[in-house]
Amino acid sequence: MPIPTVSFTDERLPNGLRLVIAEDHLAPVVAVNIWYNVGSKHEVEGKTGFAHLFEHVMFQGSANVGKAEHIALVQAAGGTMNGTTWLDRTNYFETVPSHQLELALWLEADRMGTLLEALSQENLDNQREVVKNEKRWSYDNRPYGSWNEKLQAHLFPPEHPYHHTTIGSMEDLDAASVEDVSEFFRTYYAPNNAVISVVGDVDPAAAREWVERYFGGIPANPSIPPLGDLSLPPILGEERRETVMDKVPLPRVYVGYRAPSFGDTRLDGLDIAAQVLAGGKGSRLHRRLVRDERIAQDVALFTLGFIGGASVAAGWATVRPGVDVGRVEAALHEELERIGREPITDDELERARALIESDELGALGRVEERADRLSMYATLFDDPGLINRMLPRYLAVTADDIRSVASSVFRPDNRVVLTYLPEMPPADSAVVDAAADKAEAAA
Amino acid sequence: MTKRDGVVATRPTPGTPRPYDFPEVERFHLGNGLRVIVANLPGRPLVSASLVLRNGASDEPAAHAGATVLAARAMSEGTERFDAIALVEASERLGASIHADAGWDAMSVSVEVPAARFEPALALLAEMSLHPTFPASEVERLRDERLNDLLQAKADPRRRADEAFAATIYQAASPYHRPSGGTRETVEELTPARLRAAYERGLDPARTALIVGGDLAGIDVEAVAERLLGQWGPAVGAGATGKIVDAGAVRHRFVRVLHRPGAVQTEIRIGHVGVPRRIDDFHALSVMGAILGGLFNSRLNMKLREEKGYTYGAGAGFDLRRAAGPFAARAAVNTEVTVPAVADFLAELDRIREAAVADSELQAARDFLVGVFPLRFETPGPIVGALSGLVVHELPEDELARYRPAIEAVTVEDVLEAARSRIAPDQAAILLVGDADAFGADLEAAGFGPVTVERDAGPVEEGRDPGAAAAIGPVDAGPQGPTEGAEEPAADGSGDPVEPHTSSEGDDDR
Repeated sequence: MPIPTVSFTDERLPNGLRLVIAEDHLAPVVAVNIWYNVGSKHEVEGKTGFAHLFEHVMFQGSANVGKAEHIALVQAAGGTMNGTTWLDRTNYFETVPSHQLELALWLEADRMGTLLEALSQENLDNQREVVKNEKRWSYDNRPYGSWNEKLQAHLFPPEHPYHHTTIGSMEDLDAASVEDVSEFFRTYYAPNNAVISVVGDVDPAAAREWVERYFGGIPANPSIPPLGDLSLPPILGEERRETVMDKVPLPRVYVGYRAPSFGDTRLDGLDIAAQVLAGGKGSRLHRRLVRDERIAQDVALFTLGFIGGASVAAGWATVRPGVDVGRVEAALHEELERIGREPITDDELERARALIESDELGALGRVEERADRLSMYATLFDDPGLINRMLPRYLAVTADDIRSVASSVFRPDNRVVLTYLPEMPPADSAVVDAAADKAEAAA
Repeated sequence: MTKRDGVVATRPTPGTPRPYDFPEVERFHLGNGLRVIVANLPGRPLVSASLVLRNGASDEPAAHAGATVLAARAMSEGTERFDAIALVEASERLGASIHADAGWDAMSVSVEVPAARFEPALALLAEMSLHPTFPASEVERLRDERLNDLLQAKADPRRRADEAFAATIYQAASPYHRPSGGTRETVEELTPARLRAAYERGLDPARTALIVGGDLAGIDVEAVAERLLGQWGPAVGAGATGKIVDAGAVRHRFVRVLHRPGAVQTEIRIGHVGVPRRIDDFHALSVMGAILGGLFNSRLNMKLREEKGYTYGAGAGFDLRRAAGPFAARAAVNTEVTVPAVADFLAELDRIREAAVADSELQAARDFLVGVFPLRFETPGPIVGALSGLVVHELPEDELARYRPAIEAVTVEDVLEAARSRIAPDQAAILLVGDADAFGADLEAAGFGPVTVERDAGPVEEGRDPGAAAAIGPVDAGPQGPTEGAEEPAADGSGDPVEPHTSSEGDDDR
């Protein structure tokens, strides 16, 4: 089955802004996606959460755009927009009806060029409160909500910037000042630190002219400080364990591992291993823990690709009431270690490939996703053309590649185990225990 | 050169819109009366297909609550020809993902598959849809998983708030009073026979539709559908059920607090029974909902988030079902500001009923809803979803084609009338899940209405997010999903009207 190839142009403005354009006139829509090469990994001690807080400030207005007006204008144009921050990047994007492309480009340029002219203590304080509520909502007031923070802290040493999460700490958020915002902006929000992708129903000549008109006058920052050496030993070197008492009714076992960096073909193999282990109802962990032995309520396993020293492979199993937590953990380890010992079957490989192919077809069907990937591959690997080579790379992975990477990652001296236990048993757990016992008897 | 000199201060004007029409569809019936709707979408090689049975959780007897949702889940657990593993492996070999799902209004079996493998994928879909066996051991497992999920729901403040809110605003006789997946008491009693009965209630080709979208060049959909889905007749127990009870339980405004000791946020739900999907003022309601709590720059989000910083996102919306679903205004706010946040919510609910909205607000909302329409329908999945919605709600064939002109025609008077007739702040329940010890006294003093605090809340349950997983992935700026208050309802009636944009979407990477 042929996957449509994304044709694109790739150029740079004199100020260093990289522009990638891909035409597709199927639908009357166009996507704009800017990646800035700055993420939470650029934060220093005492400033955690800052890159993300800054991203919020980017929606608070610039010289020619009022507070929250960026979003108002995009929505009134019939568009959608957002921004996201992650360890290795910050990105901003709009999808708009194609006749509104110029507006989206102008809006992005205005904040890249003039954010500080609209910056105020009041707006910063407001967004600080919003972000603190985001942290409460996404992490602090959520069952098992601390797992990611704990996993990163165990997997990466304190001096490494992946040690802390993108959302940061309440303390550091409180300490962020207007001066911090200004300094961050001057350092990282420069055209030579950004890639802008324009994908969809676009006239490339017009788009190029607009990008030059609106972004061309924004000066480069010739002295963006390089990030230090982020390299890490490929494995953790020991098993790290933590038990967490939480307001949860069911215990859950999380596992986390250091994995090859994003871009390393070995990570492709690990992605397929994760698919075989936990991708849907036909997967090994689901079959064994959920369906056959009925000791888990649900299972998950996935990779998070990072370029700074190591990626993360992580997963969990939620333990059914009345089941020994140790039994579930042991079964998890057994299956992960088994895939590192014995090659997966031809049928497993064929099924994983077919699913990856369909996923890719679905994802690349949307202009927003194509724009995001072009900017991502250009920013992280200086190679937007990876958008057309990732699928062939996945399809070239062999059973032995998978076994090899799994054996190097899924090992006891490279893992973190977090065990979440209920602070107190739920009042009515006895009822469900009985039901679970019946199920076990039937299995 | 300063940065200021480098930018162009003048805001560009839009170009000429490219003409857009919702895709043309072809409609026909199979020999057994089953309706087929086909949208051929050149250049869209991932085909989406959905078999919609007009039988949902609102059609089941109260004692069997949860049977329809569980029956849908069990349809992939074994058929006359395949066991569950053979079924999932066969679909994976095709690169197809097949899901059966049920909500309040309907049951649907859906597939996404590359066009070249459409026929074998539809064969699997037909096998699952027409010949499920509901094996006892698998039903037992799914039932236990649902019971465990109900335990998980109690620990999740969001799910707890949603479920308690529904139980608060509907009379006990209404199915909407309970979760669509059933309560512990009803789920414990579910058996394969009850699941089969729920499934067969909808098993009638005359009340079923197949909707297909994608690049169908070279595929004779009619012949394939006739062969795979044209040969069956109604089940013995099939048939439409009577009117869905959607009566409200709130006469005068009151406050119900579910105490969650130490909670750092309070989940707020304020509202009452809303309206069904099929109403004359749907378009005015959509515009009003966008202005009140649908757009990022909606009144609620601007007040509670952008002015006060109380929340990551505030919104309001109508859950439009076959009968009257809930209207809810919602946010999660930090505990200390719970009472002032409720006061702001009530003030905005009053304000939208008291005076006409500004022309600029009307214009922004209409322009958004009209402009975003083509964006929503870029790929086959959402197109099939919208066409399914027409079937479920028995809407006219031209409903989607006339959506944009109908939105354009909405006036400030229409918006005011929609607000006055559809929102009743004096008859709203205020449901809070949070630390009552931190705000209880202020709450009494605020005079919103009589206050009850439940310190040992009984079972409030449900949810369609069994993982209840914490966030992972990039952190968003967090404009709430802007279209959500105003979209076509989900085919299964499970559409969540407004939810702050989550950061758990993991939009990145491969």
